[in-house]
Amino acid sequence: MINHLIVVPLLLPLLMGTLIVLNANQPIFRLRILGLSSCLAVLIITFILLFQSADGPIQTYVLGDWPTPFGIVMVLDRLSAMMLCITALLGLLCLAHAVRGTDLQGKNFHALFQFQLLGINGAFLTGDIFNLFVFFEIMLLSSYGLVLHGGGGLRTRAGMHYVLLNLVGSSIFLVGVGILYAVLGTLNMADLAVRMSQAPAENAALLQAAGLILFAVFALKAALLPLCFWLPDAYGFTSAPVAALFAVMTKVGVYVILRVYCLIFSEFAGVGAGLLSNWLLPAALITLAVGVAGVTGSRDLRRITAWLVIVSVGTLLAVIGTFQRETIAAAIVYLPHTTFMTAAMFLVADLIGRQRPDAGSGLVPDRPVRQPTLLGLMFLTAAVAIGGLPPLSGFFAKVMMLIMVKDSAGTPWIWGLVLGGGLLALVALGRTGILFFWKLLPVNEPGDAPENSHAPVPVYALADVFPVAFLLGISPLLVFFGGQITEFAFAAADHVINPVHYIEAVLGPDRSFPLMYSLGGQ
Amino acid sequence: MTLALIPLLPLLGAFIPCIFQNRHLNAASAGLIAGISLVLLLLQTPLVFTGEIPVYTRSWIPAIGLTFAFRVSGFGFLFALLVLGIGLLIVLYARYYIATEDPMGRFYTYLLLFMGSMLGIVLSENLILLMVFWELTSISSFLLIGFWRHRADARQGAFMALVITGGGGFAMLAGFLLLGRIVGSFELTDILAAKEIVHAHPLYPITLVLILTGAFTKSAQFPFQFWLPHAMAAPTPVSAFLHSATMVKAGVFLLALMVPVLGGSALWFYMVSLTGLITLMFAAYMAMFKDDLKGLLAYSTVSHLGLITLLLGIGSPMAVVAAVFHIFNHAAFKAGLFMLAGIIDHETGTRDIQRLSGLKKAMPVTAVLTLIGCGGMAGVPLFNGFLSKEMFLAETLGPGLTGAMGWIVPLGSVLAAVFAVAYSIRMLHGVFWGQPAADLPRSPHEPPVGMILSPGFLMAVCILVGVFPAFFAGPLIQAGAGAILGPDMPDYHLAVWHGFNMALVMSMVALAGGVVFYRQREKLFDAHVWCLRYLDGKTLFESLVAWLIQAGNRLIRFLENGSLQRYLFVFITATLVLGAIPFAVSRTPLLGPVPITPLDPATLVMGLILIIGAVATVKTHRNRILAIIMLSTVGLVVALAFTRFSAPDLALTQISVEVVTIILLMMALHLLPTTTPKESSKTRQWRDGFLSVLAGGGAAALAMAILTRPYDTISDFFLAESVPGGGGTNVVNVILVDFRGFDTMGEITVLAIAGLIIYALLHGFERKAPATDDMGRPWTRDRFPMILAYIIRPLLPLALLFSAYIFLRGHNDPGGGFIAGLITATVLTLQYIASGIVWTRPRLHYDNHIIMALGLILALGTGLTSWALNYPFLTSTYEYVRLPLIGKFEIASAMVFDMGVFLVVVGSVMLMLVKLGSINSEDARTVSFSARLDETLDNKPIEKEAH
Amino acid sequence: MEWLVSACFGVMTACGVYLVLRARTFPVILGLTLMGYAVNLFLFLTGRLHTHLPAIISGNQTRYTDPLPQALVLTAIVIGFAMIAFVVVLSLRALGELDTDHVDGRQEKRPS
Repeated sequence: MINHLIVVPLLLPLLMGTLIVLNANQPIFRLRILGLSSCLAVLIITFILLFQSADGPIQTYVLGDWPTPFGIVMVLDRLSAMMLCITALLGLLCLAHAVRGTDLQGKNFHALFQFQLLGINGAFLTGDIFNLFVFFEIMLLSSYGLVLHGGGGLRTRAGMHYVLLNLVGSSIFLVGVGILYAVLGTLNMADLAVRMSQAPAENAALLQAAGLILFAVFALKAALLPLCFWLPDAYGFTSAPVAALFAVMTKVGVYVILRVYCLIFSEFAGVGAGLLSNWLLPAALITLAVGVAGVTGSRDLRRITAWLVIVSVGTLLAVIGTFQRETIAAAIVYLPHTTFMTAAMFLVADLIGRQRPDAGSGLVPDRPVRQPTLLGLMFLTAAVAIGGLPPLSGFFAKVMMLIMVKDSAGTPWIWGLVLGGGLLALVALGRTGILFFWKLLPVNEPGDAPENSHAPVPVYALADVFPVAFLLGISPLLVFFGGQITEFAFAAADHVINPVHYIEAVLGPDRSFPLMYSLGGQ
Repeated sequence: MTLALIPLLPLLGAFIPCIFQNRHLNAASAGLIAGISLVLLLLQTPLVFTGEIPVYTRSWIPAIGLTFAFRVSGFGFLFALLVLGIGLLIVLYARYYIATEDPMGRFYTYLLLFMGSMLGIVLSENLILLMVFWELTSISSFLLIGFWRHRADARQGAFMALVITGGGGFAMLAGFLLLGRIVGSFELTDILAAKEIVHAHPLYPITLVLILTGAFTKSAQFPFQFWLPHAMAAPTPVSAFLHSATMVKAGVFLLALMVPVLGGSALWFYMVSLTGLITLMFAAYMAMFKDDLKGLLAYSTVSHLGLITLLLGIGSPMAVVAAVFHIFNHAAFKAGLFMLAGIIDHETGTRDIQRLSGLKKAMPVTAVLTLIGCGGMAGVPLFNGFLSKEMFLAETLGPGLTGAMGWIVPLGSVLAAVFAVAYSIRMLHGVFWGQPAADLPRSPHEPPVGMILSPGFLMAVCILVGVFPAFFAGPLIQAGAGAILGPDMPDYHLAVWHGFNMALVMSMVALAGGVVFYRQREKLFDAHVWCLRYLDGKTLFESLVAWLIQAGNRLIRFLENGSLQRYLFVFITATLVLGAIPFAVSRTPLLGPVPITPLDPATLVMGLILIIGAVATVKTHRNRILAIIMLSTVGLVVALAFTRFSAPDLALTQISVEVVTIILLMMALHLLPTTTPKESSKTRQWRDGFLSVLAGGGAAALAMAILTRPYDTISDFFLAESVPGGGGTNVVNVILVDFRGFDTMGEITVLAIAGLIIYALLHGFERKAPATDDMGRPWTRDRFPMILAYIIRPLLPLALLFSAYIFLRGHNDPGGGFIAGLITATVLTLQYIASGIVWTRPRLHYDNHIIMALGLILALGTGLTSWALNYPFLTSTYEYVRLPLIGKFEIASAMVFDMGVFLVVVGSVMLMLVKLGSINSEDARTVSFSARLDETLDNKPIEKEAH
Repeated sequence: MEWLVSACFGVMTACGVYLVLRARTFPVILGLTLMGYAVNLFLFLTGRLHTHLPAIISGNQTRYTDPLPQALVLTAIVIGFAMIAFVVVLSLRALGELDTDHVDGRQEKRPS
C-alpha cells in the first residue's frame, strides 16, 4: 500500500500556488483564503506523518513507480517528518502575520509563499542528490522573491547580495553533484552511500573533494562563518514575516549537512568516512562566537535577531559537530525551540517597531508604545526563551546540549561559548527591553515634533498578535512535553546516525546487506 | 503533592492580583495566596521537627535527569518560613506603601512570582529544578527593582542585578551539571551522600569554583557586592523582602546546602572564608559613610551576608549552627529596619541622614522599633543579633583556624563588629536624636497602623528571641542546622549568658569601639572620600558593558563590511581550499587509467574559438554590447560541443536558450549603462585574476581527473527500459518526462517562479530609457525595423508549426516540450521586437500568467491521474494509435506532461520578456492583464506608433 | 581531446570567476552566465566524451552515450536560464532603487 501522504506536503503547495497564480487578479482575500487553507491542510498532514514516523519505520515514496535507485525517491524518517512539521507550523503562522498587510506591499506574495514551502519541504524529503539541487533552486528562487517583496533601497541591496552569493553557490553545488555522479555513477543518496563504502582508494581524493565542495555550499545556506555575512542584512531588512519564515531556511542547511554527512560520508563510508570530523566543530564554534559578538554589537532588534539566527546555527552545528547519537538528539531538541523563538522575535520586533514612530526597532529611546503590557509581555517571553533562561524551552534545550556533549575535545569550548554567549545575549536583550519599555521619552516633549506629525501608530487587535502569541506559546509546550520530545529526539537520532536504516528502507535489505556486513553487522 | 503546591501556588496565582482594579483586592488576593502556601508549609511541621525529610517526586525529562521533585528539610523549612512569614508582612506593608498612581496589581504579581521562585529554591530536591527557580528569582528581582521604570537609577540597578545574578546563575548551572555528571544524578539526596566521590574527582576544583561564583553573585559577596546597594532603587518593601531577608540569602542557603558535599576541603575553606571576611569588613566599613538610610542598610546587609559566608567557610558544626541562627536573626531585624526606613522616607519625604534628625518626638513608636532593630544589628545584649554574633566571634577563635588565619579572622571580625556598632548608632542617633529637623519635605508624624504593624511584629520577634532564645528560636535552629549537619550535630544551648569568655570580651570591645568611631566620624569621612574613587563597582560594570558593546560592534563592522565582492571572494576561496585539501593530503594520483582519445582539428578549432571568446568577454567587459557578442559566441560553441559529443537535445536547448538570453541582456542593456567604469584597483584586479586562474586550473584538473576515470552508471537501466518502460526511443527525453519527471516538474516550477518574481519586481516600475548611450550616441528613433516586421509576420504560423513538430517528435528524436516552448516564445518575442507592443499585444490576446498556470496544472494533473489507479505520483503509461497521414503514432501520458512543460515555458518566457520590454518605452502603460484595456487599445490608431 | 575540453572548462570557469568578482551588476551577470556554461559543460562531461553515439534507441546501434548527464544538463540549463533572467531584472530594479549599478549600491564615482 503506497502512502501518498508523503508527497502531499509537496504537491499541495504546488497546486495551491498555481491556483493562486490563476486567481492573480482576484480580490486579495480570496488569495489569502487559498494560502492559509493550504498551509493549514499541510500542517495537519505533516502532523499525521509525524505520528506515523514517531513509532514506525522509515517510509519511502518512489515517484513514477520506477525501482530504486533509478527513479527519484522521497524518504520520510523521523527527522524529516519533524522538519516538515516545524516548517508547516511556522509557515502557517508567518502567513497569518503577513495577511495583516505585508502581502499587499507587492505582487504575487501568496504564490511565492506556497512555492517557498514547496521548496523547503522538498529539500527535507528528497532522497536524490540532484533532486535536492532542484528543490534548493525552487526554495532559493522563491526566497529571492520574498526577500525583495516590498522593495526599497536597503532591501534591494541586501537581496542583491543574498541572490548573487547563492547563485554562485548553486553552480558550485552542481560541480559537487557532478563529481559524485562521475565517480559513483548514481544520484540516489542511499545508493551513493553504498557505492561510497565500496569505492577504491584511488578515488578517495576526488570523492572527499566532492564532499567538501558540497559542504562549502551547505555552509553558505546554513550561514556558517565565514559564509554568514549575507544574512544579517538580508534578514534584517526584509519584511518581518519573511524573516520569520527564513528562521527555518538556515535550518535546511543544517538538516542537509546532517543528512549528507551522516549518510553518504558516514563513519562507515570507506574512503569518505568522517569527512567533516575536523571541520564542522571549529567552524561552528567560531560562528557561534562571532554571532554572539553581532548580537552584542547590533543597534537594532531586527539585526540582533538576525545575529541570533547565526548564533543558533553555530550552536546547532557545534553540538552536531561531534557526530554522536546523544549530541544529535540534543540538537534535534534544540532545533524547534530556536527556530520558533527567533521567528517569534522577528515578529515581535515588527509589532514593537510599528508602534514606535521615530525609532522603530532601533535601540534608541522613543515615546512609549501604545500597548506596553501586551508587547512587553511578548518581548519578555521571547527574550527569556532565547536567552536560555528558565522556565522556557531555551533553558532546557541548553541544559540538554551541555549534558550531552561529553568527552570530546571541543566540550570545554562548547560549554564556555554556549554559556558565555547566553550571558551576552542576556545583556543585549535586557538592554533592548529596558530601552523599549522603560527608558521612555515624555509623550510630547517641548521642542519635539507634536504627536499629530506622526503617522498614527496602529493599535493591535487580537488577529494581529495571535500568530506571535501562538509562536511564543510553543515554548512552554516544548517544556511541558519535554519528556516525550527528548524520547522522540533520541529515536530520530538513531535513524540519522546509523545509515543502515535509511539504506535498507530505500534500497531494500539485499543492497544494504554488504554495507552492514562491512561494518560487522548492526 | 501538597509539597509541590507550596511553591507552585504563588507562581500560578501570580497573575490573580493583576485582575483586580481595586487596591484592597490586590493586596487581599496576594495575601490569601501566600497565606494558603504558609498553611500548607506548616502542615509539614511535625514531620520536619522529628528530623524526617518528606519528598515528592514526579518524572519530567529523564534524558537530562530532570525530575519534578521537592523536599522539605529542616533547613528548607526554616527558609520557607522566613519567605512566607516575612512575605505576608510585606504584602500588608506594601498595601500602604505603594502610592496610588503606581500599578499595585502588577507589583503584587511580581512579588508573588518572586515568592514562588524563592520557595522553589529552598524546597527543590532536583538540582536542575533548583536552577530553574534560581534564575526565576533573578528575573523577578529584575522586574521588581525596575518597578519605578521612569527612574534612571532603578533601570541601571535592575539591569546590573539581572546581568550579575543571571550571569552567576550560568556559572552555577555549569557547576551543577558537572556535579551531576560526577555523582551521576541530580537528586539532592544522592548528591549529599556522595562527598567522597566528589572530593576525589579531578573536576572537583572547577566544579566548586563555578558553584561558589553563582552563590557569591547572588549573595553579593566581594567582588560582586556592588549590585546590591544599587538594587535599593526598588520600592522599600522589595528591598526589605528580596534584598535583605530572602533572595540575597539564596547564596548562603546554597553554600550551607553544599557544605556536606563540597565543604571540608582547603580550597573551600580559603575561598569561602576569605571572601566572607573581606565582604564583612569592606561592606561594614562602607556602611558607616552612607547618608542614605537604605544605602546604609544595604551595605550592612552585604556585610552580614559576608559574616554568614565566613561562618560557612569555617564550616565547623558550631559555625554552621551560628550561621543558621544568624540567617534567622538577620532576616528579622534587617527586614524590620528596612520597613522602618521606608516609613521614615514615607512620612518625612527624605532618607538622608544628614537632613533627618530629632524625629523621636514626632515618631516615638518608630523610634522605639528602630532602636530594637539597631540593637540587633549592632549585637547589643538582649537583642537577637547579640546571640548569633557572639557565637560567631567564638567560632573565629575556633581550632579550625590555624596559622595566619588564626589571628586575621578574629581581628577582622572585631573590626567589622566595631564598624557595625558605629553605623547602627549613626542610624539611630542621627535620625531620632538631636534638634528636630526644620526643612523636611513633609511634617513628620506616625504612619498608619497597618504600616507600623509589620515592623512591629518583627521587632517583637527580635526581642523575644533575644531574651528567650532557646524557647522561641531553639527548635527551628535545631531542625535547620540538624538538616545540614545530620549526625555530627553538636549539643549546645542558646542562652543570653554564656559566662565570661573571650567572645564576650570581643563583643564589648566592639561596642565600645563603635561608640568611639561614631564620635570621631568626621575625621573618617575625609579618608573615605579618597577611597570611594577606587571602590565604585558600578562605574566599572557599566564601562565593561559599554566596552563589550563597542567591541562587538567594531568586530562586526570589520567582518560584515557590506562588500559583496569580499563575500564572494571568501566564498570562492573557501570552496577552492576545501576542494584542494584532499588532493594535497592524499597520495592518490590525479589522473585515472582511461586512455586519452585523439584530438581532431575541427574540435581543436572549436575549442580555441571558445577559449578566445571567453577571454574576450573578460577583456571587453567594460564595453558591454561587445561583451554580450563575445559571450554569445561562447554559448554557441558550447552548443556545437554538445552536437560534437552526441548530445543533440542539449545542442537544441542550448541554442534556443542562448537566443532568449541574449535578447534579455540586450533589452536590459537598453536601460543599464552601456559601459563599466574603471574603478577596481590594480591590486584587486591582480588578486581576482590570481584567484580566477587558480579556480580555472582547479576546474580543469577536476575535469581531467573525471574524464580519465572509469565508472559504472545506473544509466544502463534507462537505456534498457526507455522503449519498453517509457515508450520512447529518445532516452534523454524519456528520462526528463518519465524516469526523472519529478526533476522536470521542479524545473518548470522554477521557470514559473522566475516569471512571477520578474513580474512582481517590474510591476509599476517604469524607467525612461536614456536617449543616448554613455558615449552620447543617440539610440535609433526607428524602434520597429520595417523589414523585420514584414518578414516575421508571415513567419509566425510556419514557426509555430515547426515547434509543434519539434514537440511531437520529442519523445523519439531530439526535441520535446521545452525546446518547442522556447522556439514558440522566441518567435512571439520577435513579433514584439518587430512591431512593438501596441501592435502585437491585442493580436496575441492571452494572459501569460494563465498559460503558465495551466501548464503547471496540466503537468500536475497527469501526475495525479496515476493516484486514481493507486500508482505513485507521475507513473506513466503509453498507447499506440494510427492516424491518417502521420501513420503509426504513439501517445504517452508523458506527452501530456510534456505539453505542460511547453505551456509553462511559453507562458513564463513571454511573461518575462513582455514585462521587461514594456518598462522602457512610452507604451509601458498599455501592458496589462485585463482584456478591457486591450479593447481600448484596439481602437487606438496603430500607425502613429509603428512608423 | 580530454585535455582540450578540460582546458575549455577551466578557461570558462576562470573568466566566470573573474567577472563575478567585478563591482558592477552587468559584468557579474556576464560572469554568472559564463559560469553557467562552464558548469553545464562539466555536468555533461560526467558522462564522458562520446562521438557519434546519440542516446536514441535504434536496432543497428549497440553502444550509446550516457543519457543521464544530458538530462541533468537540460534541467540545469533551464534553471540557469530562469536565474539569469531574474538577475537581469533584479539589476534593473536595483538601478531604479539605488540609481547606481554598483553591487553594493554605492553611489557612482564617474571616471572623469
